[in-house]
Amino acid sequence: MQKIKGVGLGLRHQHFQDFIESKPDVPWLEVHTENFLSQNSTSSKYLATIRQHYEISAHCVGMSLGSADVACPVREQHLQKIKKTVDWLQPALVSDHLSWSASDGVHYIPDLLPIPYTEEAFDVVTKNINRAQDVLQRQILVENPSSYLGFVDSTILEWDFLAGLYKATGCGLLLDVNNIFVSAHNHDFDAHTYLESLPVDSVKEIHLAGYSIENIEGKEVYIDTHGQRVYDGVWKLYEQAIERFGALPTLIEWDTDVPALSVLLDEKCKAEAIINKVLKHQLKL
Amino acid sequence: MNKSLPISTLAQMQRNFISDCLSGKLTSDNMLLTSGVDTRFISAQGLMGIYKNSAIANITQALSLTYPVIEKLVGKDFFNAACRHFIRDVWPESGNMDDYGSEFPTFLAEFEHAKHLVYLEDVARLEWALHLSSLANNAIITDWSTLAYVADILQLQFTLSPSIQLIRSSHPIDRIWQLNQHSDLQDNQVDLSLDDETRNDILLVVARPELKTVIFSVTVGEFEFLHCCEKAQTFEQAITSATLKQADFCVEESLRNFIERLVIIDFKDKE
Repeated sequence: MQKIKGVGLGLRHQHFQDFIESKPDVPWLEVHTENFLSQNSTSSKYLATIRQHYEISAHCVGMSLGSADVACPVREQHLQKIKKTVDWLQPALVSDHLSWSASDGVHYIPDLLPIPYTEEAFDVVTKNINRAQDVLQRQILVENPSSYLGFVDSTILEWDFLAGLYKATGCGLLLDVNNIFVSAHNHDFDAHTYLESLPVDSVKEIHLAGYSIENIEGKEVYIDTHGQRVYDGVWKLYEQAIERFGALPTLIEWDTDVPALSVLLDEKCKAEAIINKVLKHQLKL
Repeated sequence: MNKSLPISTLAQMQRNFISDCLSGKLTSDNMLLTSGVDTRFISAQGLMGIYKNSAIANITQALSLTYPVIEKLVGKDFFNAACRHFIRDVWPESGNMDDYGSEFPTFLAEFEHAKHLVYLEDVARLEWALHLSSLANNAIITDWSTLAYVADILQLQFTLSPSIQLIRSSHPIDRIWQLNQHSDLQDNQVDLSLDDETRNDILLVVARPELKTVIFSVTVGEFEFLHCCEKAQTFEQAITSATLKQADFCVEESLRNFIERLVIIDFKDKE
């Protein structure tokens, strides 16, 4: 497996031409695997050119690892398409989310929906991760979700659930620091406890993004929209994450109202500055 | 750790979640997912509304990528509202959003608030054709020198590139599409009446010869000729049909042109 290092950017079609023509100094790029399910598409042809100069990580949104119907045809079909793309792309990392989007093979919701943290759900997700890793013939990373809705039946804390999956399946964890920040606010838990509870070796990649704020029924809710710069509170939490997990590959994600590439490069510099600050501090100790 | 079983199984919870997400208006009466949700801060309706809105926003974004000119023509707010109506009727069936949205042109034609924009359906059909063309398999081009050894060329079937889409419209959709590719154009008016006077349909070929998808217009004879090729008719049948539509249809010139532009890529014996 190729190794990726440093701060990468999410590759969006608005920036294809920038990466082909000016080849900005970015160590790696992450793509949404589902945007390249056809290897003959125009988008895939652009990606084929871009990947000659950049390492790639494949981030999936549709494996639906939390779906109760483990052998659901619509999911299995999707997994096979992911495999085809992964085989073509040969990415350094492959990841998806601790969430679900398909049920009973009938309807598909293109969103990252929450699961209750129960023993039943743990068994289901374990089987789904094992199946994905068997089909893809490689380790996948599972990303912690951002969530707005909690289940009263949940019996396991989210961070314990993730740590359990790491031990049970051998998957890695993709730590989305923004998601922790968002969920900690929405569910009123301590983000620092979350970080401290995950095994150091489990985390293989970090995501950073911006959220939006909505007022719902008089409560301020943080929504994980990936449509703005990373908030200060998230940068602080990121610094703590780097202190605990080391200088892991970090991604700047931006999916809605995608700005000029220079804005993403600016965010990348901020992340690099934090990594350097932490490493310098640790060297002094 | 609490060992008691959850009130409902995960599968049932997910069925209820989807049912709520697909329902029109979320009310405490019609919601299925109410009892198991933590409502200390926000009601179940409010919480489900966040997910429902997020899913609709994601689907709308996919439609916006496929139909950028439609969005430009009607404006972002109108487009988003139209998408909400459309999504209510047509929900994605898989995680591959490339497959989603083929019914949007027909929906626009019937959408009450857009009926006066008579060209909208055809512009949307053109955008869907561009979308399909951009996803098409690569063309494998034959060695045309072997055509010289064919005994009866009239009984051959010519094969179109997988990226070819044929579009006919009574509106100048090619000009509408072209004018909406750049926001800085001074002259952004399209005279719809011109085509009423001439009564000629616009006949377009959408193709992806190289990296980029292109649109070009063809004569009525050429359009018929390509249409026959698409239906796997013989060269002879295609010439006959094309000539019936256009008396001065020049097969040699058109065939050479289509081969050069990678519209026709192969030939085979009649099946």
